[in-house]
Amino acid sequence: MAAIDPAEKRRLFERLSSVREIVFGVQDGVLTTAGVLCGLSGAVSQHSQVALAALASTAAGALSMAAGAYLGTRAETEVLRAELERVRLDAAAQPYTVQEGLLDELCKEGLSREAAYRTVRLLSSSPQALTSTAEAKMFGLGGAMLGRPALDGIVMGIAFLVGALVPLLPYILITVPRFDLGGALAATALTLFGVGYFEGWLAHRDDRWRPGIRFLAIAMGAAAAGYLIGLAISPLGATAG
Amino acid sequence: MLKPGDPAPSFDLECALDGRIARCSLAKISSELVLIFFYPRDFSFICPTEVTGFNKALKEFTAEQTTIAGVSIDGVDSHLRWARELGGIGYPLLADPDGKLARAYGVFDDGQKVALRATFVLDRKRKVVYAVSCPLNVGRSVIETLRIVRALRTGQLCPADWTPGVEFGPVDREF
Repeated sequence: MAAIDPAEKRRLFERLSSVREIVFGVQDGVLTTAGVLCGLSGAVSQHSQVALAALASTAAGALSMAAGAYLGTRAETEVLRAELERVRLDAAAQPYTVQEGLLDELCKEGLSREAAYRTVRLLSSSPQALTSTAEAKMFGLGGAMLGRPALDGIVMGIAFLVGALVPLLPYILITVPRFDLGGALAATALTLFGVGYFEGWLAHRDDRWRPGIRFLAIAMGAAAAGYLIGLAISPLGATAG
Repeated sequence: MLKPGDPAPSFDLECALDGRIARCSLAKISSELVLIFFYPRDFSFICPTEVTGFNKALKEFTAEQTTIAGVSIDGVDSHLRWARELGGIGYPLLADPDGKLARAYGVFDDGQKVALRATFVLDRKRKVVYAVSCPLNVGRSVIETLRIVRALRTGQLCPADWTPGVEFGPVDREF
């Protein structure tokens, strides 16, 4: 049996940390654009106007999502970094408190008090080891949790764009009325099912179809709601015109 | 928590003493004063500073006709290993695994399921003459405890911060 390479595993976890942005971005891009297409198709009759509006919505959405992910991760990272710093200062100022806290946590995880004591004593020979273990065990904090705002923003923006293209491309390419929207919705449904299935695959689930169906159900619900809202407000457009 | 004047609950418990298991009974202690100190747990990081602190000052307490006994909820085997870990302890570490003695002295923390850091000094009649309790995260002062024992041994009125050599009270003082 091959031994686990911790460095490789750590790299894998770092890559997996972008999964949230990818899934969120693709899902949001697909849903938002499909919703816009449905809503505008209900309200506007011209194919090109609908496609143009959806393109504009996609560009704005991608930028907005990228900025949101960047700012969100940056804020989260800054708060986390400040907390980590506080924990490190506490550990330096009150090593006994940290040692006692870590000892209690290790006992809760099943080590005997004596074994936990010896473990903490060993860790105490390196302040860095004691602090990082205390951060993880006592506070659930860790350096690996510090995000990368720029990367998260870029990944989110690209994921949104890719997701948005899924309904947009069939809609632009198919110019036959009703088939354009049908094609967009079919691509949307397939992609959302695929994203859900992918999530299930990443989570090593046996029933990968279940998250796929969940994504699909949400998409259909959002698309139907968007279309109905478009239909409802279309008389307003006619009145205004 | 017991207060000065209260009769001290008796005990007869297993203890670790000089690297072996023994029994320690309050009734069999013949010294003038008895110092009982409760501490939360063996194998921790604040308690050993107190346990070894009292051990280092053992001769001075003995000179004051005072017997020391440490008590925690750990079993006697744990006390043995703990005492060995600390390089040997010259006074008994009493095993109070169900916390009965700590409860009898009113110093059992039901939340943490350990004894508080509480110190009692008992007089010849085994009545409490001194009682103090510290929060779990603050170790107590061995020097202060020794000062109290010495003050009690004088049988005099001792002013604040009295130490041997300082005049006893009451005296005519300007406050």
